[in-house]
Amino acid sequence: MTEEVSKVDKVVEIPMTVEIPVGPQHPAVHEPILIKVYAEGEYVVKAEAYTGYNHRGIEKLAEKKTFYQDIFLCGRVCGICNAVHADCYVRALEHILNKEPPPRAKYLRTLVMELERLHSHMLILAVTAEIVGFDTLFMHMMRDRELIMKAKEIVTGNRVLADYIMVGGVRRDLNSEKMDKLKKILTKVEPRIRYYWRVFEEDVTLNKRLVEVGRLTPAQVTSHGLLGPVARASGVATDSRYHDAYDAYAEVPFRIVTRKEGDCMARSLVRFEEMQVSLEICRYILNHLPEGEAVPDERRLPRRFPEGEAFTTVEAPRGELTYYVMSKGGVNPYRVKIRTPSYNNIINTVPFYVGHMVADVPAILASYDPCISCMERVTVIDLRRGTRKKVSVRDLARGEA
Amino acid sequence: MSSDPLEIPDVLKPIENLLKGVTVMKPGRVVALLEPGDVVKAYVALKARYGETGLYFSTLVATDLKDEGKIRIDYYINVLEKNQYVVLRTYVPRDDPRIESLLKEAPAALPGECEAYDLLGVVFEGNPHLRRAFFVPEEVAEKDIFPLRKDAGV
Amino acid sequence: MAKIPLLKEVVKLIFSKPATIQYPREETPVEPDARGRQYADLSKCVGCSLCMIECPPKAIRMEKIPEGYEVPKRNARKIYPVVDYFKCIYCYRCVTVCPTKAYVVTNEYRLASDAPVNSRELSLSTLKKASQEPSQGEGVSKQ
Repeated sequence: MTEEVSKVDKVVEIPMTVEIPVGPQHPAVHEPILIKVYAEGEYVVKAEAYTGYNHRGIEKLAEKKTFYQDIFLCGRVCGICNAVHADCYVRALEHILNKEPPPRAKYLRTLVMELERLHSHMLILAVTAEIVGFDTLFMHMMRDRELIMKAKEIVTGNRVLADYIMVGGVRRDLNSEKMDKLKKILTKVEPRIRYYWRVFEEDVTLNKRLVEVGRLTPAQVTSHGLLGPVARASGVATDSRYHDAYDAYAEVPFRIVTRKEGDCMARSLVRFEEMQVSLEICRYILNHLPEGEAVPDERRLPRRFPEGEAFTTVEAPRGELTYYVMSKGGVNPYRVKIRTPSYNNIINTVPFYVGHMVADVPAILASYDPCISCMERVTVIDLRRGTRKKVSVRDLARGEA
Repeated sequence: MSSDPLEIPDVLKPIENLLKGVTVMKPGRVVALLEPGDVVKAYVALKARYGETGLYFSTLVATDLKDEGKIRIDYYINVLEKNQYVVLRTYVPRDDPRIESLLKEAPAALPGECEAYDLLGVVFEGNPHLRRAFFVPEEVAEKDIFPLRKDAGV
Repeated sequence: MAKIPLLKEVVKLIFSKPATIQYPREETPVEPDARGRQYADLSKCVGCSLCMIECPPKAIRMEKIPEGYEVPKRNARKIYPVVDYFKCIYCYRCVTVCPTKAYVVTNEYRLASDAPVNSRELSLSTLKKASQEPSQGEGVSKQ
């Protein structure tokens, strides 16, 4: 790994660069990605991302399966944000079919997606704590995250993979008994979230590791197309819930959380505040759930789709998720394009590791909330920004470069 | 949802002179048809009008239209100021798909361009990061098969 | 600043019951309507194969109902769906597309096994054994 300066025949100041692979086994989250970091002393001078440990080719597969089978396929692009994937795809289908789900179904979809945001944010905040060496907090947060998983099980029938959203509505309804259970869970979770929020704000360890680390400016955010909490922590108010006002977000009151600092701590605190907003949304939905039908009869849905195309976006826990679905008629989609938030957030942020300490790299990576299975359903990219020419220290020393 | 095709929406005023047509994609996305050579110009004009933090490049979708002998490339740009998605749509010939890279103007286009090259063989001129066999198995890449083309037989 | 009562919390937890469920000594609590194993009730199934066609991971295979069972008349082709639980993703698409609502749903989540697990026995247990010799004609007897 170490490249030594073999011989110096010129008086050139050559920094000794050490190549340090971060990953692919366990860079920050338990997901495979390799970030090669080139360090001079303790500081990163160059970073490269190597991905491709988790590629599945879902877009091609989606063209071969039927529109309805793809709903479940899309839900399995990512385990954590499965309902948002399905919702985005299903809304594209609904636009092609010119179908509008009933209001109750819209509210229920929103409820599931907010529960998903809650548990996703809790997961990544717990992992952030673990990365900086605060394992106790990790354990505590994961324990309380189970409550939200339970809430999701109550609504959808499964704690992780919801398979909840169907063209023209949702696949299960809520009764008052389930709603009471959910309300109880929300009341139980809220003080816990507030407590962890305070820990993040006040704890010395976390502050030392997260404040002023991995700062991004608003211009960097927009030019590199960063999304979600990463963008909002730098003061860029992008939120598809507001831009598109899909499902029930047009009616449910919520606010876009932004912060100015743009560092790892800001990203964590944005997530905490968003959890607070999510809890409020969930509670609003449980209290204001419209009456009526929510579950369509799946046996009566049209099998063949008309020609058409639609481009839908969803605010996934990690940022804006976009689906493009094109139909040429028939039972199979002609083209399904999935662009996940991690795809932009991870690949495009690699140049921003430069100038940070090596030890901060996992903390920064965790603060971007990487979801490798989201990112890698299609592509593998070798990314080298800045100087394209790979100059080894040895060559430099020989005066060849 | 449908609009008069002759009427140019407000959000496209900065690139009025480059437009070859305007349509609307569901739900309410403005689609601007452009010549392949004009895409970068259009993006620069939009960026000049709405400012660096007023818009961001979101998605690049390349679609193989086998029956028409073309590959369609859509650039999805979210104009934050107008709260509207703009789609810059262009067509390149299928047997020699080439287009100027947007990378200099929008670094966010990098993953999209690399993906379109690997899956559909669209060459983005000026993007030094394009490489085959990013994810397709090497034996497929060696045979010059682009998996997302309709005749790839993958 | 660091005087957040995390220490208090930790001490409290040392003396409390573990949050982990001591499976298998303790049952994991699952919702009664959680999505677990599903199988076709053959007294309702008409053998239309729609579930097999719609199944996203192709986990369902149509099989001939073995001799010795009383097959309802409307299942003219005498076939029934067998769900391979190792392939199944428990999306319940088969349950919702079934024209006769023949699927029985359970919240059985324990799937680990050495041998392949499928719904054959569960489905066949919904049919009565034929009391007389199986005849060759369609529909063995009336229920």
